[in-house]
Amino acid sequence: MDMEMEEIRGTFKPEIIPRETGGKIGDYEAALHVLMKFVGSMSSALEQVSGRGANAIVYQAGKRMGHDAAKMLEKTDDLEKALNEMGEVLGVEFYFEMWKPKGQEGYTIESGDKTEVKLLFMDCVVRQTLRRTGLPQKGPLCYLLYGYMVGAVEEVMSIKGKLDIDHVGPNACLKTLTIKWGGK
Amino acid sequence: MEYLSRKQKMKKISRGFKMVEIEIDEDACVGCGSCVDDCPNNVYQMNEETWKTTVVNADDCMACLSCHEICPSQAMTHRDIHVAKRLYIDRKVNDVLEKII
Ligand code: SF4
Ligand code: SF4
Repeated sequence: MDMEMEEIRGTFKPEIIPRETGGKIGDYEAALHVLMKFVGSMSSALEQVSGRGANAIVYQAGKRMGHDAAKMLEKTDDLEKALNEMGEVLGVEFYFEMWKPKGQEGYTIESGDKTEVKLLFMDCVVRQTLRRTGLPQKGPLCYLLYGYMVGAVEEVMSIKGKLDIDHVGPNACLKTLTIKWGGK
Repeated sequence: MEYLSRKQKMKKISRGFKMVEIEIDEDACVGCGSCVDDCPNNVYQMNEETWKTTVVNADDCMACLSCHEICPSQAMTHRDIHVAKRLYIDRKVNDVLEKII
């Protein structure tokens, strides 16, 4: 296959933060697709080698990312505020909103020392990666986001959290975030 | 298609979710009931007389579109929903396919 490549040439001096990224939007698209294929095949290889252990590995990786990302966020014990802040950190690539069925009054459900809230993930780069590589949803890669959310909520609220997948679709996925009050 | 930044989306959504409008093409529906079984929010019900699916609870539709994937006859249309960015589409492959087709 013929490949058109535009070489970027320039004079380089030692620099701390490069100002220019170089490349066109098509280059970023190509890089994204290579990464998607790479991450997708890594995930299925992990699953092949370590079975359900793959979920735990990816979960831990996500959790670490979540803790790191949320370190700069303001600590709060207000779940809605925490979710809004986390939404900013997760950005438009993991665009989520709180969701409730029409018959339910508020977004949160309290039971004992636990609070539950349903989150609808509308944009998700993990879902796109799975579709790119033909992998089913709810597999190890989904545990990345699971870990990420749990790590971030633990960091911001200093409590224990868990995220369960209720339903997945090609356009949105519904998850339940449960937080347990009373410290780590 | 309309593209919104996260801030714009937040503003739009804080005004409340818009009810999803769902349309069923009754000529296309083969009455398999897969959408009824698949939808977690009981949006569909089979019409016992016509044996076609009917929308009975559009308010609870979250536009996940898993029903679109399961329907063998692509009988449903969801209007004015948030469309997830489909970054997985390889436009180069699509261009080649379009030329072939
Ligand atoms: S989009 Fe999802 S919630 Fe809406 S009708 Fe289809 S399966 Fe149900
Ligand atoms: S899945 Fe499609 S064909 Fe089957 S009942 Fe539902 S709308 Fe009709």
